[in-house]
Amino acid sequence: MNPQRQTDTPSYTLTCQMSHEAAALERLCQVVRIRGFRIARMAVESAGDELAIALTLEGTRPINMLKSQLEKLHTVGDVVLGVHEMKQTKTA
Amino acid sequence: MNGAQHILDAFHRHDIRTVFGYPGGCIMPLYDALVDDVGTEHVLCRHEQGCALAADGYARAGGKLGVCIATSGPGATNLITGVANAHRDSIPMLVITGQVPSGLIGTDAFQETDVLGMTLGIVKHSYLVDSADDLPAIMEEAIHLAQSGRPGPVWIDIPKDILLTEAHAQAPTRTGSGPTDCPNLSEALTMLRAARKPLLYSGGGVSLAHAEARFRAFAETSALPGVVTLKGIGNAGKHSDQNLGMLGMHGSRAANRAVDECDLLLVVGARLDDRATGKLDTFAPNARMIHIDADAAEINKLRPADLAIRGDLNTILAALTRELETEPLAIADWQKQCRTWNTTGGFNAADNEEPLAPITGPAFVRQLSRIAPDDTVIACDVGQHQMWVAQHYQFNHPRHHLSSGGLGTMGFGLPAAIGAQFANRGSTVINVAGDGSFMMNAQELATIRRYRLPLKMIILDNQCLGMVRQQQELFYNNRESQIDLDDNPDFVAMARAFDIPALHIERTDQIRRGIETILAYDGPMLLHVAIAREDNVWPIVKPGASNRDMIDESQRTAKSSKEHVA
Repeated sequence: MNPQRQTDTPSYTLTCQMSHEAAALERLCQVVRIRGFRIARMAVESAGDELAIALTLEGTRPINMLKSQLEKLHTVGDVVLGVHEMKQTKTA
Repeated sequence: MNGAQHILDAFHRHDIRTVFGYPGGCIMPLYDALVDDVGTEHVLCRHEQGCALAADGYARAGGKLGVCIATSGPGATNLITGVANAHRDSIPMLVITGQVPSGLIGTDAFQETDVLGMTLGIVKHSYLVDSADDLPAIMEEAIHLAQSGRPGPVWIDIPKDILLTEAHAQAPTRTGSGPTDCPNLSEALTMLRAARKPLLYSGGGVSLAHAEARFRAFAETSALPGVVTLKGIGNAGKHSDQNLGMLGMHGSRAANRAVDECDLLLVVGARLDDRATGKLDTFAPNARMIHIDADAAEINKLRPADLAIRGDLNTILAALTRELETEPLAIADWQKQCRTWNTTGGFNAADNEEPLAPITGPAFVRQLSRIAPDDTVIACDVGQHQMWVAQHYQFNHPRHHLSSGGLGTMGFGLPAAIGAQFANRGSTVINVAGDGSFMMNAQELATIRRYRLPLKMIILDNQCLGMVRQQQELFYNNRESQIDLDDNPDFVAMARAFDIPALHIERTDQIRRGIETILAYDGPMLLHVAIAREDNVWPIVKPGASNRDMIDESQRTAKSSKEHVA
């Protein structure tokens, strides 16, 4: 019986480079999920052995914590945070 | 050389002499190569979980890389708990599994599972090898990754055809990274000198960084009062009068009090786990915090650090020690206060000397600590006995205390003790288990028998899942649910079925003789210790509560009757 309420979910853009290895995207997406973020948009471009990945993410946890976890992945490099926005979402 | 031979070649180059494994269909080429190999000792466990946990114990006790091997499908899935255990405790491990042949991947072939996919969350890194020529470089990188920075398990899944294919590539030569620069420590020293009540908070990162000696020198030179996490037990040595012991849910009152009152927390190689901090809002409320760790992702993860120092613990601790040698800290009042708390609030309860009294866990562990040799390795399982060991055994080195900290894996102790015995062949190794945990990997008794390992097993048997029963008593209105194990097997007869002699004791006056008998015996031996069902681990902090709100035995009746937690 919770009334619908307006909450502000921060939204972020994040780009990174990743080796085009087996399960590369699964590895990345799993870290995003387990560290508390939702993927709103994902663009991937393959160039040789590398993947260029651009993510738009939503989540209420500190984005820098996700950044440092992604940087720990052996095959991920150059994690860059973009503009931070607040997105109005409705939650039940 | 084929792929399988390249794996053994990498073992030889990296002085990996002992591996733990279990053969099966898709890993058979590696087992075939082992037939002709003279440099690798393969330890056959009786379950793949036993292999992974033995490799973990080998790595923890020996400070070396643990290696485990299994086949595809159920072999790989059975490894998972042991690999997750290593991942949560940052144990360097190399995991090698066979996979169905490359052409059959994705066809639901016999014993096919998506090992790479299902293990992503429990590895530091992983590989699915698609060319035999890649294998030498992958082995090289995996062995390096598992042991570098913050260590962890690295998993290589290798299709059977790749193991059989001739590979002509050579392993690349890896150049050493050389000594790391020491971060600027001037602000840390300023904060340390300004503090009136500074406290050293150390964890498993000390031994993971092989920084035990540097840490000991720093602790002694700084004379900082210290607390340790479960995995930091032994960091300070058994003779330090500044060590207040373990903090947290089952920590000492002295340790939790000191954290509560300190004005500076110097965290070294610890990640502020919830079992250690209790409710974060009330954790060290008056303290600024300096966080020293090898892993940048741990800094500011749970509590913001006032000063973060990321780097090699050896380098940092050595530099801090040099500075404090020149100008010691002036904290005599605080040191005295902590020593007083340790006297009144440490784990120093008097033993019941009544000879016919039933044995209690703490009394048994204190006797064991007094009798066992200084270099004894204790491998615990998970539960009440694990906390009694953490509280009451005096460890002189962190590698002497093997305990599943992050994952809390029942069944860890027996295979970990097997691994520890292979890593320390001349040392006394003891598995201290509960009756619940012992049954989780009891098949490894066959491994002990096979290799005639002289390790000792102690079961503190309360015929129930004691830690669960305790929390049901205290936090669930004493509503016991599925914790009775009163139909346990006769553990003495069970050991004897594996050709392992065993003793049963149940009275206080039998403790000393029981311990001395198993230690004197030239071979494996089991000591079955009957303890009371209703004994609890004291003190305890309710999960999610503040460490200030420790419950001790005097509050037991009130808690049991009044409190109910949904």
